[in-house]
Amino acid sequence: MFSRLVRRSHMYLALFLTPWMLMYAVSTLAMNHRAVFVERYGSGPVPFHTERELVYDGSFPPDADLKTISRQILTSLDLDGSHGVTRRKDGAIVINRNDLITPRRITFTPDSRMLLVERMERRSNAFLERFHRRRGYATGYRLDTSWAVTVDVVIVGMMFWAISGLWMWWEMKVTRALGALALLGGISLYALYLVML
Amino acid sequence: MTFAQLNRRTHLYLALALLPWFFMYGISSLPFAHTQFFEQRDAAKGLPLWTLRSDRLSAVPPPDNEKALRPFGAALLSEAGISGTAFGTYQQSPNQINVYSYSFWKSTQLKYYVDQKRVTVEDRRFRWDQFLTGMHGRGGFEQEGLVQLSWSVVVDIVCLGIIIWIASGLYMWWGLAGHRAWGWIAILAGAISFIGLTLRL
Repeated sequence: MFSRLVRRSHMYLALFLTPWMLMYAVSTLAMNHRAVFVERYGSGPVPFHTERELVYDGSFPPDADLKTISRQILTSLDLDGSHGVTRRKDGAIVINRNDLITPRRITFTPDSRMLLVERMERRSNAFLERFHRRRGYATGYRLDTSWAVTVDVVIVGMMFWAISGLWMWWEMKVTRALGALALLGGISLYALYLVML
Repeated sequence: MTFAQLNRRTHLYLALALLPWFFMYGISSLPFAHTQFFEQRDAAKGLPLWTLRSDRLSAVPPPDNEKALRPFGAALLSEAGISGTAFGTYQQSPNQINVYSYSFWKSTQLKYYVDQKRVTVEDRRFRWDQFLTGMHGRGGFEQEGLVQLSWSVVVDIVCLGIIIWIASGLYMWWGLAGHRAWGWIAILAGAISFIGLTLRL
């Protein structure tokens, strides 16, 4: 009964988390071969292109902090979500909206009340890297917290697959010898790297 | 041996051989996902992260272009008596070049101040969370040396291994006729959650 439960949990958890694991595998490949993309696109940051420019006619509370201002601007643009905000030396407020598919930079110039909305150029490797590096607990947005929970589930899933996989292997007596060889080979190589790298 | 058996054995033996990496990537994701927790925990110790080893003038001529950065970093490391580690060289500002030298167990940073031709060497205090994240983030083919490059090849193998586990796992699931309906539900639930979050994040 326990053995069956382990097997089924191993399988169903894997079926559910397939998209995450596929994404982490493909994005790791892209990051491991970053040089290929640097050769293609150059080594600088991904450029932004102007999406729209408009006059912002809203007003802010007198004691509004940067976070309040950025949320108000993003909400008015229908772009509210995870973001970072800074004030430049010239007084302009720069909001980096961390949209997973289309990251945007929104610059608000208080003197002219102009809003410049720019979108990041689409690049497959940058998209995959954003996916891979996405966290979420600190943003204050429920959606990001949900994503962070799924990342935790993937972590627990990986631990569980490793342990349950060992259990299932040990139950199949016919595979014990070759399995032990594969396991010892892997552990030995890993130990070697620990010493040498 | 039937294809189904070959599929099962590949799934199993590949997993056993790559288990240390799989386990490492899993457990090292924790400090990435919960950075604040680990940072607060370490900050509570009140210990400095970096310790100054030396502060002196350097005889290495500063680089005059971006391509010369890496050889410059290598020369600075050699001058500081550091060899055989992976490293990266970055132009921090017009007046400062940083060189990060790292192994799984030890990290050192060199800061070169162009106007003074002065270099400081600092060693990082060992932290278990950084040991794990260091292993997790290790990869790429920019480093010199066979061992360094072979680690990156193994990283590729782990990625391909995950793709093979997915494909072989799906094949095994399809072979269990009694589990197709629940399996479809699990796959669809995962795919819908994933796509939904992707589109809205």
